[in-house]
Amino acid sequence: MTIDIGNMSRRELLKSASVAALVAGAGSLAIPRRGAAQDANTVRVLSVEDPFFFSMKALVPEYEKETGIKVELESLSYDALQSRLVSAFVAKTSDADVIVVDQMWLGQYLDNGWIISLNDFIAKDSEFDLSDFIPEVLYSSNMWRGQVGTLPVAAYAQGVMYRKDVFDELGIAAPPTETSEDWTWTKYIDTLKSMEGKSFGGKPLFPTVVCGSQPSPIVHMFTQVSASHGANWFKSFPAAPWDFAPQLTSPAWIKSVEVYRQLYKLSPPEAINYVWFDAGTRFAKGDIGMFYWWTPYFYLIKNSGYMTGKKSDVMDKYATAALPKAEGVPQTVSLGGWSLGIPSSSERQEAGYAFIKWATSKATQKKMALWPDLNYQFSDFARVSLYEDEEVKAIYPYLDVQYAMMKQGNGKVTRPPVPGYTAVESVLGLTLNQLLTGTEEPKTGLERANSLFESILKGNLMIPYQKDSYADTLDGAKALIAKK
Amino acid sequence: MHTTTVRSPRALGPARKSFIRRNLPYLLIAPSVVMLLALIAYPLLFALRSSFYFWNLQIGPEPLQFVGFENYVQALNAFDFRAALTNTLILSILGTALEFIFGLAIALILLKALPGMNIVRALLILPTTIAPIVVGFLFRYLYDPGGGLLSWVLQSLWLPVPAEGILGSPSTALAAILFVDIWQWTPFFAIVLYASLLAVPDEILEAARLDRASAWTILMRIKLPLIKRTAIIIVMLRFMQIFNTFDTVLVLTRGGPGTSTRTLGYSLYEQGLVNFNIGLVSAMTWITVLIVNVIVALYVFFAFRNEEW
Repeated sequence: MTIDIGNMSRRELLKSASVAALVAGAGSLAIPRRGAAQDANTVRVLSVEDPFFFSMKALVPEYEKETGIKVELESLSYDALQSRLVSAFVAKTSDADVIVVDQMWLGQYLDNGWIISLNDFIAKDSEFDLSDFIPEVLYSSNMWRGQVGTLPVAAYAQGVMYRKDVFDELGIAAPPTETSEDWTWTKYIDTLKSMEGKSFGGKPLFPTVVCGSQPSPIVHMFTQVSASHGANWFKSFPAAPWDFAPQLTSPAWIKSVEVYRQLYKLSPPEAINYVWFDAGTRFAKGDIGMFYWWTPYFYLIKNSGYMTGKKSDVMDKYATAALPKAEGVPQTVSLGGWSLGIPSSSERQEAGYAFIKWATSKATQKKMALWPDLNYQFSDFARVSLYEDEEVKAIYPYLDVQYAMMKQGNGKVTRPPVPGYTAVESVLGLTLNQLLTGTEEPKTGLERANSLFESILKGNLMIPYQKDSYADTLDGAKALIAKK
Repeated sequence: MHTTTVRSPRALGPARKSFIRRNLPYLLIAPSVVMLLALIAYPLLFALRSSFYFWNLQIGPEPLQFVGFENYVQALNAFDFRAALTNTLILSILGTALEFIFGLAIALILLKALPGMNIVRALLILPTTIAPIVVGFLFRYLYDPGGGLLSWVLQSLWLPVPAEGILGSPSTALAAILFVDIWQWTPFFAIVLYASLLAVPDEILEAARLDRASAWTILMRIKLPLIKRTAIIIVMLRFMQIFNTFDTVLVLTRGGPGTSTRTLGYSLYEQGLVNFNIGLVSAMTWITVLIVNVIVALYVFFAFRNEEW
């Protein structure tokens, strides 16, 4: 039986009420209901406030002038954006025409039918050049079960940043800009240890800095170490058939925790509570020798604080290098970033696609990079051609290192974007945070996390997996890209 | 031409008139009851139903399967839930008690006609008007081990500050969150208790003084008994508020290090709005509701045992 309340069924009303109650409980994240009569010449974009947002926002007036389409651009924090999107999807409200999607959300959004596949749009668009995108980025962030669900507006790899002046003064060899068998995590830690207990410029120097805050920040940084060591989260994913039996007790995970604990011992102790930008801005303060982090920090550390636009102490004193690898294990770099997708509830999907095409185009991305405010803060390109652009390279001299890291990337292995990911991430993040303090052996902590993983995944019908598997490989993604 | 006939109350039949007169109080209160049922009872019953299903919005928009009490078992067996419950009880009980004691002390000082007291009264209200999330950010900087004011003050007083910082050590992080709550909400107690104390009749106090009762005796035997009802209510309200502590934990520590500052409010936020585990968060909500209600019921029973209403 259906009781109509407006256009809402009873089931939808129940869902809306429950989600709204949850949202209200956390405070201030209510679902805004827009007027039904949306202006035909308006496209609504809901974004997160990462660095790309500011340069994209600066160019929106240009887009409006060129097309005559008004853009309603709104930004939220990470958690607030996810809550808002899921609440809107469950309630089937049309909250936006274009949404910013984290790679970790792609699987659930496409599997639940919350966003539409862009395959048809791309196939019909003769101007659209899919082959200019870095295949590893599209594979990691935008493709799910053979569908292009989103297009990348900001793509991140991870890389090393170090102080040239500190290395020179202490007589330490500069780390390499290319991956090699000689540049390992063991060598990285040895290099850090050569700075231990030293001072620079009359102040104590910390060899490195890590992210310790749970759940996401520590998982983002730690999983680069675990991916380098060949650690898998699950028995079989993304290779088919999918088997989500957790594998956290393997030697690679234990070794990775030991490496990360060594890194923490060489960091400021308060890093136990550091979130993403705490670690980045700590390097910008000038008392850190070397650290690795998401590539947006290649430019963010030019500033004294996150998006301040004020020059930092390390502005002209740092360089970038390749990520270390584990001995005898092929390197896997963590890839992440933000992409644009179209909600299935949007009534203006064509207009949404036009905006996505504009925002992810080579021309717009280059303009975003050349936007001078805040010390030039956008070089998170997903397009190969921009890494070869001399005008852009003159402003962002580290692009060769960044591109080399991108080409070794695999986001589906480092942080598997499976439905239910955040639930297991919260367990791993808490466990890692506890293990940093060194009061427990890695093996014991990881066994407990493994057991909780299993319990959560069984509860969510992921063990045994009850849906169809998909053989998700980079080669498969490359083949799909080549068709266009 | 269209005409409308308006019937005056006099035109109503005696039976109908009598029905309205008899049931008028119920009719007047009915909208409030309906609203209460819709806004409180319905969400709670919906959460109760959801708590018996595996239902994660990341896996699918529909409940996956009926699982009986499995979500409750999972919630109680999760080590972070038990830690969150312990931390929440510590924060709620200690926070309410200390805020009451400090608030009462301030209220008694405010009663003195000292110079500048008007300004003090005005300033006192300020912390309670700041949003908890803003207070969290403020104290994040105050606790910063690299030059935060509070860290500096403690070090200047030769008091030990952990190397990881006040918020980075499991031994001090929860106390740091408790301090933030006390800083923000003690003035609330002070102002409410001050207002109550103003209502204590001067004649009674004057008579006690003539009988040479000490200040302590006057406080314990006259002032506190006379403001007892107000005190009981605001203690209950604050206890329930602190039980839901979430914002300051999110900003200051995200429940860490480890589980040392995790609260039930933060766990509910994480399971509900980050993990979207509707079944589990519903079970956790009901466990929390039951705990709070048992504590409040016991408190009300003992606090009002000898009172007439």
